[in-house]
Amino acid sequence: MRILRTSTGLALATMLSFHLPCLRAGSVDSNDTSVRTAPGDSKAAPDAAMAAAHSAAKGDGLLEALLTELDRSKAQLKMDQVQAPYFIEYRVNEVEDFSAEAAFGALRENQHVYVRVLRVVVRIGDYKQDSYFGRGQGESSYLPLDDDPIALRHQIWLATDEAYKAAGQALAEKQAALKQFSADPNPVDDFAKAPPLIAVEPTVALKVDEFAWEKTLEDATAIYKNYPDVQSLTASARFTADNEYLVNSEGTVTRSGKTTYLVSLNSSAQAADGMRLGRSPAYIVGRNEELPSHDALLGDAKKMLDTVVALRQAPIVEEEYRGPVLFAADAANDIVSSLIGQNVLGQKPQLGRPNRTTGAFATSYKTRVLPTFLTVVDDPTLKDFQGKSLVGSYAVDSEAVKAQPVNVIENGVLTNYLAGRQPIRDFPNSNGHGRGAPGSSPGPSVGVLLVKSSESQSLADLKKKVIQMVTDQGKPYGYRVDTLGQPGNTPRLLYRVYADGHEELVRGAVFSELDLRALRSDLLAVGNDPLVSNRAGRTPTTVISPSLLFGELEVKRADTSKDKLPDYPAPPLKK
Amino acid sequence: MKISETSGTCGNLRFRGLQVVRVAASWVLAAQLAFVPFAYGTAGKSDSPMPAAPASDPVLKAMQGELARASSELGKAEQPPYYLSYTVYDQEFTVLVGAYGSLLHTTAAQHRQADVTMRVGTPELDNTHGQSRGSGITSGPLPFGNDQDAIARILWELTDREFKRAVPTLLNVRTNTAVRAEEEDKSPDFSKEKPQTHLGEVPPPALFDRSAWEGEIKRLSAAFRKYPDVYFATVVLQVQRSNSRMVSSEGSSIVSPTASTRLVMEAQTRADDGMDLLRVETFQAPSAGGLPGETDLSAKIEKMASDLNALRKAPVAEPYDGPALLSGRAAAVFFHEVLGHRLEGHRQRDEEEGQTFTKKVGQEVLPKFLSVIDDPTMHEIAGVKLAGTYDFDNEGEPAQRVNVIENGVLKNFLLSRMPIKDFGNSNGHGRSQPGLMPTGRQGNLIVTSSQTVPDSQLRQKLIDEVKKQNKPYGLYFDDIQGGFTLTGRSLPQAFQVLPVIVYKVYADGRPDELVRGVDIVGTPLAALTRILLTGDQPHVFNGVCGAESGQVPVAAVAPSMLFSEMEVQKRAHEHERPPLLPPPGFEDTSVGKDAQAKPEGKP
Repeated sequence: MRILRTSTGLALATMLSFHLPCLRAGSVDSNDTSVRTAPGDSKAAPDAAMAAAHSAAKGDGLLEALLTELDRSKAQLKMDQVQAPYFIEYRVNEVEDFSAEAAFGALRENQHVYVRVLRVVVRIGDYKQDSYFGRGQGESSYLPLDDDPIALRHQIWLATDEAYKAAGQALAEKQAALKQFSADPNPVDDFAKAPPLIAVEPTVALKVDEFAWEKTLEDATAIYKNYPDVQSLTASARFTADNEYLVNSEGTVTRSGKTTYLVSLNSSAQAADGMRLGRSPAYIVGRNEELPSHDALLGDAKKMLDTVVALRQAPIVEEEYRGPVLFAADAANDIVSSLIGQNVLGQKPQLGRPNRTTGAFATSYKTRVLPTFLTVVDDPTLKDFQGKSLVGSYAVDSEAVKAQPVNVIENGVLTNYLAGRQPIRDFPNSNGHGRGAPGSSPGPSVGVLLVKSSESQSLADLKKKVIQMVTDQGKPYGYRVDTLGQPGNTPRLLYRVYADGHEELVRGAVFSELDLRALRSDLLAVGNDPLVSNRAGRTPTTVISPSLLFGELEVKRADTSKDKLPDYPAPPLKK
Repeated sequence: MKISETSGTCGNLRFRGLQVVRVAASWVLAAQLAFVPFAYGTAGKSDSPMPAAPASDPVLKAMQGELARASSELGKAEQPPYYLSYTVYDQEFTVLVGAYGSLLHTTAAQHRQADVTMRVGTPELDNTHGQSRGSGITSGPLPFGNDQDAIARILWELTDREFKRAVPTLLNVRTNTAVRAEEEDKSPDFSKEKPQTHLGEVPPPALFDRSAWEGEIKRLSAAFRKYPDVYFATVVLQVQRSNSRMVSSEGSSIVSPTASTRLVMEAQTRADDGMDLLRVETFQAPSAGGLPGETDLSAKIEKMASDLNALRKAPVAEPYDGPALLSGRAAAVFFHEVLGHRLEGHRQRDEEEGQTFTKKVGQEVLPKFLSVIDDPTMHEIAGVKLAGTYDFDNEGEPAQRVNVIENGVLKNFLLSRMPIKDFGNSNGHGRSQPGLMPTGRQGNLIVTSSQTVPDSQLRQKLIDEVKKQNKPYGLYFDDIQGGFTLTGRSLPQAFQVLPVIVYKVYADGRPDELVRGVDIVGTPLAALTRILLTGDQPHVFNGVCGAESGQVPVAAVAPSMLFSEMEVQKRAHEHERPPLLPPPGFEDTSVGKDAQAKPEGKP
């Protein structure tokens, strides 16, 4: 099929992706946000709530336009045979985004995006059962960049109309779909009530010298010239300021801003046998002054390339090893994020499924999931940790619910889930963890996940313990893993720890059976060295975990193909 | 097949209903700039990718040096490439999008991409044979500046990757060819051509006053505020400078800069039955200064809005088979779809293609009074710039005027360097978007006629034909938004042209009646033989054409045409209602929808 068209437009969805690569690093942020509850509780007359909302929005053209359309839609939106909405929400993310990438000493990408993305949710039905299903989960649209009220409202109006019609259809589809299942005697509500909240905070903007950063990225990648064995070297930066505006028909008006600064390095090489080896360290911070300086980044780039070169020379692991493995805090953070962070989310299963959540902890409520010496808390209200900004910190979530600390695992026992406004069995309310990327539906998400222990030890003691164990078991060495690669938690820097204390770098390993059972039963001890690991995913999150020592884990040779080496040498350098 | 209306959606933003058109439109630009998927940025801080003097161009030097090295190094391999080329595409562009008086987005960005094209085997049978054509190309982003080390390094990486792909593919091709029945067209895979050298001078950037244009885009788009029924409207300005450098192992060295500016005004409404109605106006010029003035553009907007208001109220056309008059632009799209795509060279040997015209060379396929050429070397017709103009195609062959049909008789095809039976050489029509293997494509397809009447008499000729056939009315297709066609064997050979402004012209002298929801349908060979006569003026349709080798700008030019018979069907459409509430600014019912368009009831 061939298509000939005159029309041209903007491929916004295609051109702009808010998905940041899932990266992580050591880091810090604070936004000084004070939150107050709207005058009157949720039972107050909605008119009073809306009046308070209007007065809070005064002076902000975007909030005013949102409220004007909200009032109009609330009062008038009604189609034959379809109920009027019982809830309407507008969330706008005003995103300023700078990104740049250099390869081999030369810049090959730089862009600056400034965009406003609206997400409209219109709900029909009631809190018990509503239209939040399929297309009824909301509509997205771009909004004008200036505050012209008519131009703004025009796009809001169109998106609301679409969302309402979609909600009407979605409710009918949902009710039809529910007919396939026998009625639930204790149904879980579709939507949690939340008190109206008024919290209009100052907006944020990017504060970086873009030109200087482009130069730094070029300089950091120019050092490939001194590393003939390194095949690729890139450095990239992505700096984002995201101001989130939210108004809803319950009388909530919030505005909050957040900056995230990411700088990452990436390099790869092949060993003589063809095995591909890579490193991809990153810095993710909430305040630009915490980013590494030009010289510090160059120094780190050299260190990284040194490890790549060392990996090329390193021996391949034996076919299989079972024994103690010590995860340094950086590697431990990845384990905590993937095995604990993903499973404590209170994500409601799909229609008709009786489980509590979609995660592996769905049926683990009130059971032991970790050793009793461990407690896990998610506390987005924590702004700094050991002087470092936490990008997972926030005061109000993407559903305008105040952030709260939540003890998810207490002394090894699962006691709670991270929840947004979509209730799950036994947990009818949001605990302020509903977060969403710009333009997408919010869902339960990690904020700042901390692993705490009543029995922590120094790293040196943990290493001694590894040596003791291998000696007792008659093994020549144990393993210590420094850092992992994603996806799949594969070791990037893995060392053999010999009885005399010396270490040897190895390559080509994977962990097997690194799972929930191992966490619950084989985790022996933790370090006293909690490390901040900021992560830039769909929404920025932070994990803080100390080193973890597993008594028994399997390390085995990776089953990956060894690619051919280049068919001819790299070009000689001109300068 | 490969292209659908919504292929532009991706990521986490969903567009539907009213916005489907936006997505479709989006996809056009996205694909056009397909090698720049994330196209937001500030250009100009680093070295300009446009060289001042090609002869000393460090980028070209790096390309030549690395090409020579790769040819010599890989020449020692067991299966050396017999052809290798590097093409580096530079693009700088600014896009301004206005809606209802505000800027919805602004973009300025620069991008540079390298395509490495490699052929292993022999010109008779190589890795690109048949369905393996994609194995001939590997692409990647290049640094913007003049750092020859960095450029050479990335070209090396891409070349090595391409080599590792091309060689195993050749083995597969050889095995498949040995196992399968002999192909009907035994032409070689690559034609022999003379190397070309052309170092085009890159002109200095035309003056572009961005803030003045931002103001104009805002003002123009604000004009749609007056029309409550125009639910969606944008004014898009796209200013682009491009440069392509190509070097090949055959000795070609080509630098070919281009610049273009497009202004696209798009407006949409929805009828009460849910049918989306769209009007688009496009203007093209080498630089922003060549676009029509604000007064002319404002007048076009008024016309678009009044057309949409009339269309909303127009009755839906019934299926019809009878005489029809196509305006020049409608006829041009008709020829692009029905004839042009079927004359693309590679379709004559691809065994999955319908091959409508493959064996008709020397035979009459059109009425004798019609001739068709494709001429990318022409820059304008009747004062209108043509979108399908280029000097070298994407295989480095010089553009040529090709007489495809002379006095109704098929003479030639649109050829890339993929030979077909009896046509062993390229005629400069190997086109692609960056990153894809070129195939034979249209440039400026121009239909001329020797059986003409003045345009002013066409309507009467239509009425005469209607009367002759004893029909109550004929159809006049005034404007179209585009079309598509299927050329394969697995689906019926068909085409569709999407008209937007169609009138019933009555035989009994009643005034013409605007109708909506009409699609022209039919089978190609039959439709082409029913042309009775044409107007005497050429009309231009500039657009973007999508096919296997991607999005390329094209023009189609034709006079108005009278058909003895044309089949139309009702258009399938969504049934979502127009927006429930009045648009912002029209909340007060006393100045609502009706007040706007309704004349006074009494004198």
